[in-house]
Amino acid sequence: MSRRYDSRTTIFSPEGRLYQVEYALEAINHAGTAIGVMAKDGVVLAAERKVTSKLLEQDTSAEKMYVLNDKTVCAVAGMTADAGILINNVRYSAQQYLKTYGEDIPIETLVKRICDVKQGYTQHGGLRPFGVSFIFAGYDDRYGFQLYTSNPSGNYSGWKATSIGANNNSAQTLLKQDYKDDLTLEEAKTLALKVLSKTTDSNKLTSEKVEFSTIGLDANNNIKLKIWSPESIDKLLKESGVLTRDEEGDDK
Amino acid sequence: MDIILGIKVQDSVIVATSKAFTRGISILKDKDDKTRVLTPHNLIAFTGEAGDTTQFADYIQANIQLFSMRENTELNSKSIASFIRQQLATSIRSRTPYQVQILLGGLNKGTEPFLSLLDYLGTRVDLPYCAHGYAAFYTMSLLDHHYRPDMNTEEGLKLLKLCNEELEKRMPIDFKGLYVKVIDKDGIRDIDFA
Amino acid sequence: MSIADIGKRFTYKTQFEQELEEASSEFQRLQPSLNSLAPSIAVPPISQPTDFLRAHTDYDSNSDCKIRMAHGTTTLAFRFQGGIIVAVDSRASAGNWIASQTVKKVIEINPMLLGTMAGTACDCQYWETWLGTQCRLHELRNKERISVCAASKILSNLVYSYKGMGLGMGTMICGYTPKEGPTIYYVDSDGTRLKGDLFCVGSGQTFAYGVLDTNYKWELSVDDALYLGKRAILAAAHRDAYSGGSINLFHVTEQGWVFHGNHDVGALFWEIKEKEKSFNNVEA
Repeated sequence: MSRRYDSRTTIFSPEGRLYQVEYALEAINHAGTAIGVMAKDGVVLAAERKVTSKLLEQDTSAEKMYVLNDKTVCAVAGMTADAGILINNVRYSAQQYLKTYGEDIPIETLVKRICDVKQGYTQHGGLRPFGVSFIFAGYDDRYGFQLYTSNPSGNYSGWKATSIGANNNSAQTLLKQDYKDDLTLEEAKTLALKVLSKTTDSNKLTSEKVEFSTIGLDANNNIKLKIWSPESIDKLLKESGVLTRDEEGDDK
Repeated sequence: MDIILGIKVQDSVIVATSKAFTRGISILKDKDDKTRVLTPHNLIAFTGEAGDTTQFADYIQANIQLFSMRENTELNSKSIASFIRQQLATSIRSRTPYQVQILLGGLNKGTEPFLSLLDYLGTRVDLPYCAHGYAAFYTMSLLDHHYRPDMNTEEGLKLLKLCNEELEKRMPIDFKGLYVKVIDKDGIRDIDFA
Repeated sequence: MSIADIGKRFTYKTQFEQELEEASSEFQRLQPSLNSLAPSIAVPPISQPTDFLRAHTDYDSNSDCKIRMAHGTTTLAFRFQGGIIVAVDSRASAGNWIASQTVKKVIEINPMLLGTMAGTACDCQYWETWLGTQCRLHELRNKERISVCAASKILSNLVYSYKGMGLGMGTMICGYTPKEGPTIYYVDSDGTRLKGDLFCVGSGQTFAYGVLDTNYKWELSVDDALYLGKRAILAAAHRDAYSGGSINLFHVTEQGWVFHGNHDVGALFWEIKEKEKSFNNVEA
């Protein structure tokens, strides 16, 4: 029966549901987890990379982290190819804003721009909505450091700590337990990795499986945005002690 | 022959515009306000080709207000200047360019006085004091001579009075006096400038 | 005629619906522009219609241009305690040639609104009649009479969209609405639109201003105001070679406009000269 209502994004079912949008949300629940944690002096994004292979070239295939402009970075869960379109679109949009107003686009405005495109595809334009959720981390003068998520329906919301993708429910619970309001960036890094290590299916985190990015302040109080290299991720994993805890857990 | 003047002082920006609206050899109106309020802390004054001026100013006003509504925030003066410049730069490359000269006065982020001069070619300069049209010929030397960046509003208005006296004395046409507006932290207010 | 069209003729419609439908189907045939408010006029199919028009219509830049626009007028309107007075002359000239002495330069847009005509007669006539249509549509759609402010803005936006393409009009839109009171807007083809108490437009404007400014008071009685309007146009008709013919006088009140006669300048001149003992440069 639902066949009649699930082949088009534009059509409500008699129960008032948009099946295609719901399917898209479901698809993301199987994608690699991404976690965002906001600290008082920065934001951390960590994500689990699902497809790994020894043959995969590490540094030429950043899969889940994208820089959008000088002050915004995002993590993707879902179809990377779909995300590519949106990211391309919003990067252009951010540059246009910069050209017009002479200052960086506010983070919420940028998120709104992506969401307007996503929403549009739930009504017209194509046969399916964009199969991606994002976590955005950024900084602007109005609200300081910020963390947002958006999903295929075109809704977005701001968070102190959040997660998308597989196991996001358990990740959310862990975050709720361990999040404190005056977290430093260093503490936030550890928290993000800890939660990620507990929610991922594989038993040991390595730089092959993790992508990581931070946005914070440098010594001169300028905004510094960074997607971490595999080497520095390995180093971080070691230093944070997440690995040892995990190994202990495995031994028992 | 319209007079458009702006002076930036320590805690405010003073904008003065002539009241006469002239067409051909007649003054059609002696209480014409050549300014538009964009946000509670920003306004533009304009002169140029008849018709273009008001159409362009209304367009800018509407778009800045639309932005405020959409984003639930006031654009700061620098961004407004950048936006206006971009519009003029687009316009000059179209089949029907707006022939307008603009002066933007306001408080950047509600605190820092800001004054910007824009012409129809898309030139933008941020200045401590400036004027458009013939008024510039009479008043720039005067402002160069007397202006100090640490002046307060009171002293700024005194300086404007000097400009007005000079214009009254030397301008060959009657410009029917000036409308004077001060933009400071309390917003925009009209000054009785008799 | 399609079956649907035949069907339409036999279905019942209120007068409002019919007028609305006729008006919109009329406009659909023409290419829509300006939010489909206006029909569009063909523009020469060349890259710079503006330059083309100037080369062929502007006597100043090309003295043997083929098209010469009719010019020369005096029109005035002013607000006073009793409403608005509108007075105009009736001469149409093309160069030195007096084309007509009996032109109607006040266009009755609707029973509440008047428009005056200076500049190119055809432009004024066409667009002010068009404005009447827009005002009626506004009334049908909003169940309320259009404000003078809005009506003048419709005209101003329209002429602005044709800026530089040869439209030549200087007009005053005069009306009386409950929320605005007596209101005058000056609108010209540059795109200028001004609200004011007193305007004179046309080649004789300076002469009319001369008489009007010296005798104008807000407290004027209706009779005195009518006389002043007539007298100011007479002054212009006397001094301006391109103004003359006869004077059309209107009074705009809360109930709409009232016509106060057509006065031949020839006869009126002698009558007023006799009465005022003025015009002493002319011997009786």
